[in-house]
Amino acid sequence: MPVKSYKHIVSLLAFVAPAFIIYLLFLLIPTIGGMYYSFTDWNGLNRNYSFIGLGNFIEALREDPDFVHSLMFTLKYVLFMIVLQNVFALVLAVFIETKTRTKGFFRTLFFMPNMISTIISAFMWTFVFSQVLPQIAEKTAMSFLDQLWIGDPKVSFYSIIIVSLWNGVGYMMIIYLAALQGVPQSLKEAAVIDGASPFQTFRKVTLPMITHAVTICFFLTLNGAFKVFEVVYGLTGGGPGRSTQVITMNIYEEAFSNNFRYGYASAKSVILFVIILIFTFIQIGVMKRKEVEA
Amino acid sequence: MRLRKGASLFITLFLSIGAVISFFPIYLAIINSVKTQGEMFTSFIALPTKLHFENYSQAFDKINLLHSTLNSVIVSVIGIGGIIFCAALAGYKLSRTSGRLSAAIFSLFIASMLVPFHSIMIPLTRMAKSLHVSGSTYGLALIYIGLGVNMAIFLYHGFVKSIPRELEEAARIDGCGEFQTFFRIIFPLLLPITVTIAILDFLWIWNDFLLPLLMLTDANKYTLILSTNTLFGEYNKEWSLILAALVLTALPVIVIYGFFQKFIMQGIAEGAIKG
Repeated sequence: MPVKSYKHIVSLLAFVAPAFIIYLLFLLIPTIGGMYYSFTDWNGLNRNYSFIGLGNFIEALREDPDFVHSLMFTLKYVLFMIVLQNVFALVLAVFIETKTRTKGFFRTLFFMPNMISTIISAFMWTFVFSQVLPQIAEKTAMSFLDQLWIGDPKVSFYSIIIVSLWNGVGYMMIIYLAALQGVPQSLKEAAVIDGASPFQTFRKVTLPMITHAVTICFFLTLNGAFKVFEVVYGLTGGGPGRSTQVITMNIYEEAFSNNFRYGYASAKSVILFVIILIFTFIQIGVMKRKEVEA
Repeated sequence: MRLRKGASLFITLFLSIGAVISFFPIYLAIINSVKTQGEMFTSFIALPTKLHFENYSQAFDKINLLHSTLNSVIVSVIGIGGIIFCAALAGYKLSRTSGRLSAAIFSLFIASMLVPFHSIMIPLTRMAKSLHVSGSTYGLALIYIGLGVNMAIFLYHGFVKSIPRELEEAARIDGCGEFQTFFRIIFPLLLPITVTIAILDFLWIWNDFLLPLLMLTDANKYTLILSTNTLFGEYNKEWSLILAALVLTALPVIVIYGFFQKFIMQGIAEGAIKG
């Protein structure tokens, strides 16, 4: 090897080494390790365990109704979040954008919940759902507020959505606002002069100019929603029963609180990883094509 | 853009309702945290007649506020500092080096950004145990560096391209070594993206719940979020106490947000656009 390229490699490695070593230990090896364990029946303690091929995966998808339920529950959650979070965030951003004088005030206020840790938000809302809303219902005529917000699985799904939106919409709103600021004012004015209504201007001019932000926000929502844990943990704890258990909680329980079946739990987390990958690639693929068209 | 009066009114109304919903839980937590349990149950919405700060002093002790805040500060500072140090070095060099090795290392970092934390949490706890870093705040910070470094490298890698190479060549001619060039010339120029990374990582590390839950067992080592979580489990019905604790936990970030909101919002927007 020529001396110069040898030196180059040494200097490259010297710069990369600190990051790489720590990344290797806490991310790369665990990733590979998790995939490896997913094919074993390891319980996390025993030195002896055996390789059982796809056994864990088959068991999870075929013989584990709790896991399948958590999978379906999470998918439903993801779907709701992708639509609602982005619609709300975009509407808020567009509305705020029109308000030149109070822009800063609304932006600050809508983003504030995002600063609060998700688990703390969930606890705050537990108070609202379990105490405040029933009391308001009792004292006023708004009887629809008197629900088992957390106790009835049908309703608590929506409670989980409400808290997730409360906590997360502000973040996406900021991204949309930044994108909206990049749309040249002159284009919008030109559309208005040509007789376009505000809604038409938005659809035909603004929206195509911010599709990259839509792609990013969909990606972030999709990824975040599949990994939902804290909101559910803080609000319902997965209950009543296991009715609101999401995938991440199911994995957590399997590995750390119920059975200590590390191999089996690892297989479930590999399934989660693969699902996220598939959905992400589909989403990015579809939306990139839209961006080109625009 | 000019809107008709009706439309403008509708927008104002919509935003105002949104603003109320946005602030409502925080408002409720604050006003009820200074009420007695009895006063609370006559009305949750009404303002308190008398301020009862004893909820706060009780919560202050129960969540071991000073100590757990200190733990959070240690984890965040070391975590963010470590991420910035490691990622700036690597991101800069990977961006400036062409060749297969450099490209392969960079791809490896980037590809791992898609791995969800929940997919590695099981082997990660094993790894932390066998390296004897679980159960300590410093160990926790170390793990955050490992988990956060890939995203930061990605952002640095992109940003370095905007810095002209001539600066390094000039420094080289003046006799600077490679590391000296980096720390004296390049690193200061990376400041804008460093601020972005620091903000994104602060929001993540300070507010994170699951990793500390998995790693820390000794209550003395608990981060602020984790202490509050235990309190919620133990004093399930004592709402005045719990709310005081929630306010104590949420307040520091909101205050920080008040001071740095411009940077925070810019950081998020930049992180998203470049990410």
